[in-house]
Amino acid sequence: MTPLLLGALGLTLSLLVPGPLARSRWPDRAPRAAVLLWQAITLAAVLSALGVVLAVPEELSRAYGSRKPVVAGALLVALAVAAVIVARLLISLWGVTRRSRARRERHRLLVDLLDRAERRHAIGPDHLRVLEGALPLAYCVPGREPRVVLSDGVLQVLDRAQVDAVLAHEQTHLRHRHDVVMESFTAFYRAVPAPLRSRVPLDAVHLLLEMVADDAARRVAGPEPLRAALEKLTDAIPLTEDAKPDAWGDARRRRLDRLSAPRPESAGLSLVAGLAVVALLVLPTVIVVVPWLDRALAEWPF
Amino acid sequence: MALGDLEREVMTQLWAAAGPLTVRQVHERLSRDRDLAYTTVMTVLDRLAKKDVVTRQKADRAYLYAPAQSREEMTASVMLDALTTSGDQDAALAYFVGRLPPEALAAAIEAAKRK
Repeated sequence: MTPLLLGALGLTLSLLVPGPLARSRWPDRAPRAAVLLWQAITLAAVLSALGVVLAVPEELSRAYGSRKPVVAGALLVALAVAAVIVARLLISLWGVTRRSRARRERHRLLVDLLDRAERRHAIGPDHLRVLEGALPLAYCVPGREPRVVLSDGVLQVLDRAQVDAVLAHEQTHLRHRHDVVMESFTAFYRAVPAPLRSRVPLDAVHLLLEMVADDAARRVAGPEPLRAALEKLTDAIPLTEDAKPDAWGDARRRRLDRLSAPRPESAGLSLVAGLAVVALLVLPTVIVVVPWLDRALAEWPF
Repeated sequence: MALGDLEREVMTQLWAAAGPLTVRQVHERLSRDRDLAYTTVMTVLDRLAKKDVVTRQKADRAYLYAPAQSREEMTASVMLDALTTSGDQDAALAYFVGRLPPEALAAAIEAAKRK
């Protein structure tokens, strides 16, 4: 039974759960807990896959007796498959981390050189850089030496309170190391064989992290300046015909809606999601351990 | 003065100049309002050349340095780099406040570049 249960759990978590979870709207009211939930789902799916692989030889040994060479062979194959899964994940994580670090390092060098230092007096933190150009862009480059980058356009379009709200939003991304969260999801995505992989968790988590940063910025700067900044920065460019306004528009509307709500976060929903996280991480272990315990107790001689 | 600030000022001088400059010329321009060692300027230019942001060519017995790209070109390519989520490839380089459709922004940046 164990491999079947684990397999069902793994397939449910990786194929059935992500779609509905990404489409549901309750995570907007508990974004931090929802990020944890996505992490737990991914981790539990990996653990289930490993559990399935490692449980197969035991099942065979029960069916054929432990002396048969087929069982020994199955054990070796199972260990090899499990090792491949783990190695794929680790290699993918290493590759993603290495490449994004190199790209960010280069980017940091260039924004440092292009910085119009004289235009950011009294605006903000040491790692702020201002680029020339009327196009309004505000972003952060995470890493050990992070940068927050604003274009001239942003300073022209936004007033001081709105700039502060934008900075607080970006600081949250940097301080909470949202890049590490995204890198782990990207690494998992890349480690899954191409026909099975799905961008759904990646995109959902990305939007949730934006909401987490919005909530932190709102606590520092108030909802109104952030809302105004978000509207101005996303209205600045008329959408071209071939651009896909739907996905962006939807994310934008959800974030603006939250900023109009008096209390965007719900403690109750966070708690429920938190309990689900614990359950997900415990469940694969329980499925493996309980039958084993059961058998061990049954064979207990006293 | 921090090395990063010095690198930026050296680039600013190179971008402002009409043509390639020697180490001595850069040094002269930077030491108008401060005390700066010639060798420091030489080291900074050497570092920038190794990072491929300036080009170096030999003329007579001195090296001539020039920016690899104009300030406008480099700004445009930095912005494009920040906007490019390499799709299936890797985690995004940057986190934007308002996510505009990258296609629209990229088109705007390309248009500005051509001007």
